[in-house]
Amino acid sequence: MSDGAYGMLLVSPAIVILLFFGVFPLIYAINLSLRHVDMTTGSNVWNFVGLDNFRYALSDKAFIGALIRTGLFAVISVGVQMSLGISLAFLINRLKWFKGIIRALFLLPIAAAPAAVGMIWRYLYDSEFGVFNAALKVLNIQPLNWLGNKNIALFSIIIFDVWQWTPFVLMITLAALQSLPREPFEAAALDAASNFRVLRKLTFPLLSPVLTLIFILRSIDAARLYDPIATTTRGGPGAATETVTFFLYRIGLKQFRMDHASAMSLIILFIIIVFSGFLLRPLLKRQGEKARTKY
Amino acid sequence: MRPEKVTHMDILRMSIVIGVLIFTLFPIFWMILTSVKPTELILRTSPILFFKPTLEHFKYAFEQASFAHYISNTLIVSLGSTIIVVITGSLASYAFARYNIGQGNLMFFILTTRMMPAIAVVLPFFVIFRTVGQSGIGQFLQLGLDRVGTLIICYTVFNLPFAIWLMHSFFQDIPTELEDSARLDGYTRFKVFVKVVLPLAAPGIAVTAIFCLLFSWNEFLFASVLTRDVARTITVGVGDFWTLRGILWGPLSAAATVCVLPMIAFALVLQRWIVRGLTFGAVRG
Repeated sequence: MSDGAYGMLLVSPAIVILLFFGVFPLIYAINLSLRHVDMTTGSNVWNFVGLDNFRYALSDKAFIGALIRTGLFAVISVGVQMSLGISLAFLINRLKWFKGIIRALFLLPIAAAPAAVGMIWRYLYDSEFGVFNAALKVLNIQPLNWLGNKNIALFSIIIFDVWQWTPFVLMITLAALQSLPREPFEAAALDAASNFRVLRKLTFPLLSPVLTLIFILRSIDAARLYDPIATTTRGGPGAATETVTFFLYRIGLKQFRMDHASAMSLIILFIIIVFSGFLLRPLLKRQGEKARTKY
Repeated sequence: MRPEKVTHMDILRMSIVIGVLIFTLFPIFWMILTSVKPTELILRTSPILFFKPTLEHFKYAFEQASFAHYISNTLIVSLGSTIIVVITGSLASYAFARYNIGQGNLMFFILTTRMMPAIAVVLPFFVIFRTVGQSGIGQFLQLGLDRVGTLIICYTVFNLPFAIWLMHSFFQDIPTELEDSARLDGYTRFKVFVKVVLPLAAPGIAVTAIFCLLFSWNEFLFASVLTRDVARTITVGVGDFWTLRGILWGPLSAAATVCVLPMIAFALVLQRWIVRGLTFGAVRG
C-alpha cells in the first residue's frame, strides 16, 4: 500500500465521524433553512421557500438586535481580556517569586464549567444577598442591580466572561513570551534601545501570530456564548443579555421555528467565516510555508 | 553570582498580581464556602464569613437530586468520548503530520468546525439520535435520546477537530529519522507508529486527552437539550436547583462545587501539561 493510501486509511475513522456528524447536520440545516417548517403544527410538509427565511431573518428586529448585542459583547469582552491578559503576562513574566504557583492558580477559572460558575456569579451579583453589593455598601457606594438593570446586565456578563477567559490569554501569552529567542533582545540591549521601542518593534511583532490566534479563538467563542446566559439571566432583563446563540435557542427550540433558526445560524456562520478569514489568511500562509520546509 | 536587588517595581508587580489573583479565585472560594454554609446564613444581606459548616446541602444533592447518578454519567461520557477522540484523532493527526493529507487546509477546516453556532447542529443531532435510538442496534449501543452513547458521540465530534490540530504539532516534532531506521529494520508502518512514535508523542497525547476530558465535563448546551434524566450530566444538574420555588442556593453551591472542584483539582495537578498543551497549539501553530 502506498504511503498516500496508508495515510488515507489512518485518517478515515476520524473523517467518517466528522463527515457523518459534522457535515450531515450542516446539510440538514441548509435544507431546513430553505423550507418552511413549522413544528408546532405537526405537519410533515416542508415546502420549499427559497430564500424567504433569510429575508425574514435579515428583517427581524430581534435577530438584528441579538447580532448587534453579541457583536458588542464580543468586541468589549475580547478587548478587555486581551489587554488584561497580555499586561498580566508581562507582569508575571518578570516576577521574582512564586511564579509557578501563581501561574497554576490562574488556571482555575478556565477549568470551571461556565454553566456552573455562571450560577455562582448570579449569586454574587444578587441585589440583596450578593457579595458584590455588600462590598459596595461597605465602601459607601450605591449598590447596583447587576443582572436586573437592562443597562448594566450585559456588562455584568462581560465581567464574568473576562474573569473566566483572561487567564487563557494570560497563559498563552506568558508561554509565548518565555519562548521568544534571546538574541534579538540582547542585540537591542547592546544598541541601548529604550524599553518602549523594544516592545513596539521587537516583542509585539514576534508575538503577533500567537496574539492573532488567541484573538480569533476568543472572538469566535465569545460570539457563541450560551452557557452562562442559559443558567443565569435567560436573556433578560427583556432582551438585554440575549446573545445570538440564546436567541436561536429561543426561536428554534422554544418557538419551534427551526427553519428561521437554521437560516439565522447560516447567516452567523457566514459572518464568522468572513471575519476570521481576514485574520486567518496571513496566518495560514505562514503555516503552509512552515509545513513544507520542515522536512 | 551577585544577589539581585529587590526593587520597588518588584513589590509593586507582585502586589498587582496578587490582587488580581485574589479577584480571580474569589468566586470559586465563595462557591465552596456557600456549599457548606447553613441555609439561614446564605440569604443574609451582609455575607457571613465565619460559621459552623454543614454538609446538609451535599446530602440534599446526593439524596434528593440523584447527584451520584449525574456524576457517573458525566464520568462515563467524558472518559468514553476522550478515549475515542484520542484513538481516532492520533491516527488522523499522525497521517496529517507525516503524509501531509490535505496540504495545510487542515487548520482552516478545523477552525471552521468550531464556527457553527451550536443551535443549528442540535436539531439535526436530535433527529439523528431519535431515529437511531429507536433501532435495535442503537438501543444496544446506548444511542438515542437521553442515553449516554449519544453524548459520547456528540463530544467526540466536538473535540476531534481540536484534538487533531493539537496532536499534529506534537507529531510533527518527532524526528523522522527514528521512524526511518525502524522501517529499515523491517517494522511495518503500523508497528512503527505504535512502538516508536506513540511513546514519544505520549505527552502530547496526554495533554490532548486532558483537554477533551475538560471540555466534555464542562459542556452544557448539548447535554441539556439531548438528555433528561437517564443520561443527565452534572453540569446540567447544577441548573436543576433553579426551581419554580426559587433558587436553592445551598444545594446549588454544593452541586456547583461537585461539578467544578474535580476539574480544578485536575487542572492544578496537571497544570504543567495543560499549559504545554495550550501553548503548543498556539505558539507552535
